[in-house]
Amino acid sequence: MIEARHRRFSFVRVLAIATNTFTELTRLKVFHVLLIFALLLIGSSVFMARFSFQQEFQILKDVALGAMSIFTSLLAVVATARLIPQDIEDRTIYTILAKPVARFEYLIGKLAGVLLLLAIGTLAMGAMFLIVLYACEQTVLHETARQTMSPEQLNDALRAVRASALNADIVPCIALIYIKACLLGALTLFVSTFATTSVFTTVVMVFIYFIGHLQATAREYWLQQSGAGWITRTFLALVALIFPDLQAFNLVDGIIAGAAIPLAFFVKTAALGIFYGAIYTLLAGVVFYGKEL
Amino acid sequence: MSEPAVAVTELTKVFPVPWRRQEIVAVQNLNLRVEPGEVYGLLGPNGSGKSTTLKIILGLVSTTRGQTEIFGRNSRLVESREAVGFLPESPYFYKYLTGAETLRFFGKLCGLSRASLKKRVDEVLELVGLADARDRRLSGYSKGMLQRIGLAQALIDEPKLIVLDEPTAGVDPAGSREIRDLIVDLKRRGITVLLSSHLLAQVQEVCDRVGILAGGVLVREGKLEELIAIENQTELVLQNASDNLLHEIETLAVESHAKLIAHRRSTTTLERLFLEATTKHHSKE
Repeated sequence: MIEARHRRFSFVRVLAIATNTFTELTRLKVFHVLLIFALLLIGSSVFMARFSFQQEFQILKDVALGAMSIFTSLLAVVATARLIPQDIEDRTIYTILAKPVARFEYLIGKLAGVLLLLAIGTLAMGAMFLIVLYACEQTVLHETARQTMSPEQLNDALRAVRASALNADIVPCIALIYIKACLLGALTLFVSTFATTSVFTTVVMVFIYFIGHLQATAREYWLQQSGAGWITRTFLALVALIFPDLQAFNLVDGIIAGAAIPLAFFVKTAALGIFYGAIYTLLAGVVFYGKEL
Repeated sequence: MSEPAVAVTELTKVFPVPWRRQEIVAVQNLNLRVEPGEVYGLLGPNGSGKSTTLKIILGLVSTTRGQTEIFGRNSRLVESREAVGFLPESPYFYKYLTGAETLRFFGKLCGLSRASLKKRVDEVLELVGLADARDRRLSGYSKGMLQRIGLAQALIDEPKLIVLDEPTAGVDPAGSREIRDLIVDLKRRGITVLLSSHLLAQVQEVCDRVGILAGGVLVREGKLEELIAIENQTELVLQNASDNLLHEIETLAVESHAKLIAHRRSTTTLERLFLEATTKHHSKE
């Protein structure tokens, strides 16, 4: 027997697959279209109608953070859904897995490529949003400074402008948008391990996306009904267990209202997203291990 | 007795048909042994179970019953593929990568260090005759070049066993000849080759032993010369033989109670004619 020199898990192999997946995805037209469209939407939010500077900042944050949330989620699903079916169709999966590459390494590498793409996309959109917000803040500050008022009133006015524009709570909000997109990527990977086409995976993910966003509201409504018996409660518990509560990652409304994000809440929500993401990746690994290629 | 490069024991593979109470038996009670250093050809018509057998040997598909081993290691183990290179049928690689980048990618998957990777990429590109096209994207490669880069990635880690699924499918006669020459070269280097094909003339030129699959069952197996020899017939090929000499041989044969079955002029093969004509045409240009 030939002496074994194989390592069960190799970071180099995972990195090779991840960088190749990232390169592959950045060459997709859909990535360019989504990113450009999102950047345009964020940039154009500055021209929207306003009655006061508070409204201007609220609209800007609403549009920009909403756009980031939708486009990163869309990108996560569309990019991940095609990875495995495309490799099977092109037979590249055979050449890769005929090398001493474990199936789990292949999956992790593919997912890491998507997460890298999402990170770049989120950074680009986040940077655009912060630049636009900063530019608007500066304009409003200049306009306020030109108004005739006492120094004390001016200071209060400037402080009010700064408080409603750029603040530290935007960062955890963007971080949770990214974590939500990563979670959707992991879930899409899991679905794609037993789906036969990327179209099927995308359609299933659209349903899961809506279930994930609506389940909290639906649960509240059903539980308030006096007739919510054990069957309804069991069903709701199962839905809550299987599908992540995607609405929990949506802090945009709070940010617009000027509410602060407590650190403990951020850590709890981020940990929930990472936990669900890890579970879905593990499940994807289990299904993919037994998949006939 | 040396350890076989590939050992397939009592292999059966059944694919269930979803939503129906049916199943497809792709391979049935297959026993196969490929010795180190030999070129083994797995023959059979389309759908006879050749590709499924190769995929099971490489651990890409699970067995229903039986066992497959590569150099003594169970095929389902990832480490069994350390000593293996595989070229699938009509391979398609990432077309945005260049030839050298493709080989670097597969080399990293094999765990080659940066220094040895650079050396191996150069060596393998030279071996398959793609050194000049190393920095060209695969989207600009011809079918034959893609097949050769496929062979190059299979060889990147200096494997002891190469598995080729229809290596000359869709390739023109010149490209096909180059691949056959490479297989002969691999054999000379002591590398075991297991290939599947339904192009019998090509297999006949390179294989030491063949197995013929039909409906998932191995119907014939053995050394090529033994399988195709007709025991009670002999061929004589003469050059510059006069009519008198031929007449004498025929008379002698009749006198010794042998039967002359055919008497014809030697011919070249259509493939050889094609290669000569196209090579001359290219050299004139």
